[in-house]
Amino acid sequence: MDNLLPNLLSFPPHPPRPTPMSDYLYDQGIRDQIDFVKKLADSKLLQQTSGGEDVLDVINPALNTVPYTFILLANLSALKKGTKGVDMDKIWGKMTTFLGTFDPRQIRYLGEQLSTIMEAVANIAVANRQPWMALAPIRDALLRLDPTGSMLTTHHLALVKLALESRSYKAIVPVIEKFILYFPGITNQPKPKYICDMSINPVQFITPTSGLTQKFKYQEVLEYFLYSGMVFIGLSNWEGALQCLENAVAYPAKEGSVSKIMAEAYKKWILVGLLHEGRLLSLPRSTSANAAKQYHTLAKPYETLAQIFENGTASRLKAEADQGVSVWQNDCNTGLVLHVLAAYQKFQIRNLANIYSKISIPEIVSQTMSAETGNKLPSPQAGEKLVQDMINQGELHATMSSSPGQPSVVTFAVSGPVLTEPEMQNELAAATERIHALTKEIKQTDRMLTHDKDYIKYVQKQKKNAKQGSLGDQGISGADMEWGDAIEDEDIMGSLY
Amino acid sequence: MSQTQGLPASPTQSRSKKNLLVSDPPKFDLESYIANYKGRTRLERLILIGTCSSYLGVEALKLAVREAKKGKDIKRYLEAQNHLETIGPQEPEAIRDKAWIEKTEKQNQAETQRLEAELKGYKNNLIKESIRMGNEDLGKHYQAIGDLPRAFDSFSRMRQDVSMTKHIIDISQHLIGVAVEQKNWVAVSSNVQKIRGVMTSEDEQFLQPYLYTTEGLAFMDSGEYYNAALRFLQTQPGLGGTSAPGAIPGGSVCNTIISPNDVAVYGGLCALATMERNELHSQVLENSKFRTYLELEPHIRRAITFFVNSRYSACLSILEAYRTDYWLDIHLQKHIDEIYHLVRSKSIVQYFIPFSCVTLDSLNAAFVPAGKTIDKELAMMIQRKDLEARIDTQNRLLTSVPSAPRSALQTSTLETAKEYEREARRRIQHMNIVGADLEIKGGKRGGLAPIDDLFDNGRELRSRNTHPGGF
Repeated sequence: MDNLLPNLLSFPPHPPRPTPMSDYLYDQGIRDQIDFVKKLADSKLLQQTSGGEDVLDVINPALNTVPYTFILLANLSALKKGTKGVDMDKIWGKMTTFLGTFDPRQIRYLGEQLSTIMEAVANIAVANRQPWMALAPIRDALLRLDPTGSMLTTHHLALVKLALESRSYKAIVPVIEKFILYFPGITNQPKPKYICDMSINPVQFITPTSGLTQKFKYQEVLEYFLYSGMVFIGLSNWEGALQCLENAVAYPAKEGSVSKIMAEAYKKWILVGLLHEGRLLSLPRSTSANAAKQYHTLAKPYETLAQIFENGTASRLKAEADQGVSVWQNDCNTGLVLHVLAAYQKFQIRNLANIYSKISIPEIVSQTMSAETGNKLPSPQAGEKLVQDMINQGELHATMSSSPGQPSVVTFAVSGPVLTEPEMQNELAAATERIHALTKEIKQTDRMLTHDKDYIKYVQKQKKNAKQGSLGDQGISGADMEWGDAIEDEDIMGSLY
Repeated sequence: MSQTQGLPASPTQSRSKKNLLVSDPPKFDLESYIANYKGRTRLERLILIGTCSSYLGVEALKLAVREAKKGKDIKRYLEAQNHLETIGPQEPEAIRDKAWIEKTEKQNQAETQRLEAELKGYKNNLIKESIRMGNEDLGKHYQAIGDLPRAFDSFSRMRQDVSMTKHIIDISQHLIGVAVEQKNWVAVSSNVQKIRGVMTSEDEQFLQPYLYTTEGLAFMDSGEYYNAALRFLQTQPGLGGTSAPGAIPGGSVCNTIISPNDVAVYGGLCALATMERNELHSQVLENSKFRTYLELEPHIRRAITFFVNSRYSACLSILEAYRTDYWLDIHLQKHIDEIYHLVRSKSIVQYFIPFSCVTLDSLNAAFVPAGKTIDKELAMMIQRKDLEARIDTQNRLLTSVPSAPRSALQTSTLETAKEYEREARRRIQHMNIVGADLEIKGGKRGGLAPIDDLFDNGRELRSRNTHPGGF
C-alpha cells in the first residue's frame, strides 16, 4: 500500500499551487487519476499501510475524494462478500462522514460511485431497522453536490420516501424546501466543456449519463412533489406543504389529461390552504384549464367543505365532515380534516381581532363555535385555555390579562406583528437579491430557449412565411402563422420582463 | 327603524316582497297620491297599497275595484276584488260583479278577433304603414286587457315596418311601458339605448326626462344606486308636461310610470345612500335641474341638508318617519330597507371620522332608540370593512385603526416580490418539465379518457416502496 499512496494522492496536487489550476488541466488530471485507480484490484485497495493503519484513516476524503471513494467501495464489496477484517460499524461511520465531507468538485466525476454509496447507506439503515439514520447523511450529500438544490434527482425521491417510511420528517426539510427548477433529461441544455467548471448550472453536470441521477417518469416527479408536501404536512408546516402541493397541482398536462397524483395533491392542497389561510384558495395561474375542470368534479366534497369553512357555521362544517367520513378515509385525509375542524374556531377567534380591540373570554366563547363538537365551548375556562394556547403558539397576536373575580380580558394587537425598520430593510434587501438571482435564471432559460433547435426551426419558418407574405401570398399562410403563434410556448416568459 | 316595522302578527315573517304588511298610517293622502298617475300604473299601485297597508287597505282596494271596472283587465279586477273580499267583505265593491266580467270578457275577445283579422288584412295587402299600426293597436289592446307578454310581442313586431325615426321612438316607448309593468328592466334599459341611438336633438328636449327617469328606475332595480342617483339628478325639469313648451308626447307617457314627486324621492334617497357629503352638496342641493323636483318633496331636501351639515340623527329620523310611505311605493318597496341601511352605515362612518375614539354610549344615543344597542351593527360594519375601527367591549369604546401607510406599502411590496418570485420560478419549472419531456400526455387514448392510467392503479403505485433508481 505504501508504494501506492503517493500515486493515489497525486491529485489534486498538495499543497495547492499558488495559481489555481485551469479547468482543462483539472479535467485531465482527475480523469487520469480515476483511470489509474479504477485499474487497481480491490485487494490492493484494501491493503493496510506499513504502520498497520487502515487507509481510510489516512486519506482525507475532503481533499482526495477520488481514491477515498474507490477504497470505500472496495470495502463495501468486501463487506458484502463477508471478507474478514471489515467492520460494518466502521464502514458505516466512514460512509456517513464521507457523504458530509467529500469535495463537491471531484465528486462530479464519480456519479455512479456516489450513487452506490448513498444507496448502500440507505440499505444498511433499512436493514438495521433504523431508516432515519440514513436521512441526514444523504441530505448532506445532496446539498453538497448541488447547493442550490434546484435540480431534482432520483435520490431526492428516494430520500423523501425513506423519510415518510421512517416518519422522521425534520431532517430532510433543507432538501425539500428548495424549489425544484430542473429535471434530469433536459435535452436543450448546452454541453459543458468541463464538468469541473464551478460556474455551470447543476443541470449540466447532474445528468443521467453522469450517474448522479437517473431518468424520471412524470409520475415520479409528481410523487416527489406530493410526498414532500406530505412531509411538510407531517411537520404542520402549512406554507411549505402548499408550495410543494402546488407544484403537483399546476403540473403541465397536455390534452386534458390529469394524473391521479395531481388530483390527490389537489385534495390535500385544499385542506392545507384552509389550515394556512382559512379559505378556499384560487388555483395557481399556470394550472391547465382542463385540469382545473377535472379537479372540480373529482374533489367536490373537499371544495364543499372548504366553502362551508369559509362561510358556513360550525355545526354545518361538522355535519359535512361527518357526512364525508368514508371519502376522507379512502383518500387518507382523515387526519387533515380533523386538523381543519380544530382550526375552525381558531380562525373565528382570529377574525374577532379584525373587529374588536378588547374583548372578554365569555364574549369570545359566546361568539365562536367549535367545529369539533358543533357547539360552543363548554366553559369560559376552555375558552381561556384555547386562547392561551393560540397566543403561546404565535397564532394570535394578543395579550390576555386576568383579574380576580372577573373574567379574563383579551387585548388584540392592532395590526399583527409589525416589523421594525431595520428588519424590514433586511427583508426587502433579501427579496431584491432573490429576484436578482432569479433574473439570472430567467436569462439563462431564455437563452436556452432561443437556441433550442425547434425554436430556431420555427423562427426560420416564420421568416420564410413573412417573405412569402410580402410577395403577395395572403390568406392560408397568414392564418397558418397565427396558429403557430398560439401553439408556441416560447413567449411564456414574456410577461415576466 | 324597527319600531315602525308593522309586523305584529309574526315577527319572524320576512319583511320582503309579498308578505310585507304595514299597519302604520302613511303620510300621504291616497286620493291626491293616485291623482299623480295615469293609466294602468294607478291600478297596480292601488292594489299594492291595498295588499300591503292595513290602514289604507280597504280604501285603496275600493278605489282599485272601481278603477278596474273602468278598464277591461279582468285579471286585475279579480285580484283587487279577491283581496277586498278578505279584508272588507261588507263593502259593496267586495261583491264579484259577474255580469261585468262576462260582458268584458266577450268584448275583449271580440276586440282581439277584430284587431287580429284587421292585421291579417293589412298583411295581405302588404301595406307597411297599416301593418305597423295594426300591430300597435293590437299591442295596446293586449296591454289594456293585461296580456303583457303578447303586448310586448305585438309592439316588437312593429319594428319590422318602421319608416321614420319617430316610429322607432314610439315602439321603444310602448315597449318600455310594458316592460316597466312586467318589471323587465333589461328590456327597459335596452330600449332607452335604442331611443338614444336614433333621436335628434329636438326629440331630446322632450324625451330627456322620460329617458333619464326610466333608466334611473332600471338602475335602481338592479341595485346600482349611484348610477340611479346620477340619472334622476340629471333629469331636466318638465317631467309633468306642464312647464315644457309645446305639446309634449313624453309628458303624458311619463305619468303612466313615474310622477315628479317620485323623481325627487328616488333621486334624493339614492344620492343619500351613495354620495359623499361634498358630492351631495354640489350635485343635489345646488343642482338647478333637480331643484324643481326637490321642491315637491321638502322633507327629502331637509334630510339631505341635515346630512350635509353632519346632523345625522335628524336626517335619519326624517327618513324613518317616511319609511311607511316608501314601503307602499311600487318601485321603492324592495329597496328601501337596503337604501336606509346604506344611509345609516354612511352616517355612522361619517360620525366617526373626526374622532379617534368614541364611546359606544354616545353612538347609542345618536343612532339607536333608547334601550337598544348598536354593538352588533358596528361589528357587522367592521366585518364588511365599511368601518375602519375596533370595538373595545370592556371599556365600551370604538377606536379607529391607526393607519401606517409606510409599513403597509412595505408589506405589500414584499408580497408582490414574493408573488413574482413564485410565478417566475413556476414558469421556469414548467419549461424545464416540458424541456425534459416530462409533461403528461394523454393523446394516446384519445380525448375520451382524460384521466390517465394512474387513476386505476395510483394506490398501488403509492404503496410501492422500491424505485428503479432508488435505494
